[in-house]
Amino acid sequence: MKIYSYCIIDSKERIGDGHIRGLNGAPVYNIPYRDMGIVVSNLNGDIKDLTKSHLLEHENVVEMLMKNFTVLPLRSGALFNREEEVLHVMEKFYGDFRSNLDRLINKVEFGIKIIWSGDNIRGEILKDHASSSHFLAATKDSPGKMFIMGKFEKYKIERALKEKAEICIAFADNFLNRFAFEKKLEKLISTNLLLNAFYLVDKERQRDFKEAFELLRIAPDNFKYLFSGPWPPYNFIRMGE
Amino acid sequence: MDNVYTRSKDIALIEILDRVLDKGVVISGDIVISVADVDLIYVGLKVLLSSVETMNRLKWAEVPCPESPGNL
Repeated sequence: MKIYSYCIIDSKERIGDGHIRGLNGAPVYNIPYRDMGIVVSNLNGDIKDLTKSHLLEHENVVEMLMKNFTVLPLRSGALFNREEEVLHVMEKFYGDFRSNLDRLINKVEFGIKIIWSGDNIRGEILKDHASSSHFLAATKDSPGKMFIMGKFEKYKIERALKEKAEICIAFADNFLNRFAFEKKLEKLISTNLLLNAFYLVDKERQRDFKEAFELLRIAPDNFKYLFSGPWPPYNFIRMGE
Repeated sequence: MDNVYTRSKDIALIEILDRVLDKGVVISGDIVISVADVDLIYVGLKVLLSSVETMNRLKWAEVPCPESPGNL
């Protein structure tokens, strides 16, 4: 038998009375350490590979616990051989776990993705740029110089695209940031994905945050928005600081 | 407003996998194992990596972009 771990919680008390089920339907329980605990379930037999359903079961346990506790979700896949090993990890990383629990108390995470027509916008910039620049057309220089100039033109177009993206992101962030405790913004990680953002929000301000998102969503910008949450604060855990 | 929060199953699954596979406290890293002297097992690494690759391929390929450009 092995021990599969789901999350750290800010409680050393018993949880769920066996009602919360984890991997393969096994009841989850709390292994207390000082003023916190690590939520686990027993795993009989060998699991060579985690399946999609295992991952969903993992997330389901963490989300259920999130309703009543501050949780530090663990990345899926960690198995211990014995409870002593679990306690050893808790002892070694108690400080990290404690500071994260203190920082993330009553906080949830929301995900916002903003999709724009990056290709079209680049095309428009290119068109504007071509009509205002006679740089290449008027030049009869050497191929080498033409190559460098072409590169420079491309750089200027990409820079213009990034500047436009920054303006749009600042506009969106201005709506959402007001109710966020912390945020992470991943900008233009693909041509059409303008923003992949994570906001850490106090549980009591979820409604405000959702309303702010609604205001953003109805703004006349022709962007597509993907909203998800509330999630356990997966993106806001800091270890080893 | 419900339609805003009701995502397609694929998108929802990607959001979950993105977090469960790639985020959260990592207690299975080499440093943790060596420091804590714990014989910790990491299940299904190949499958997980494969899932991540698949997820990354799917991630934005099927998300339709708006038809008209932003006008900010």
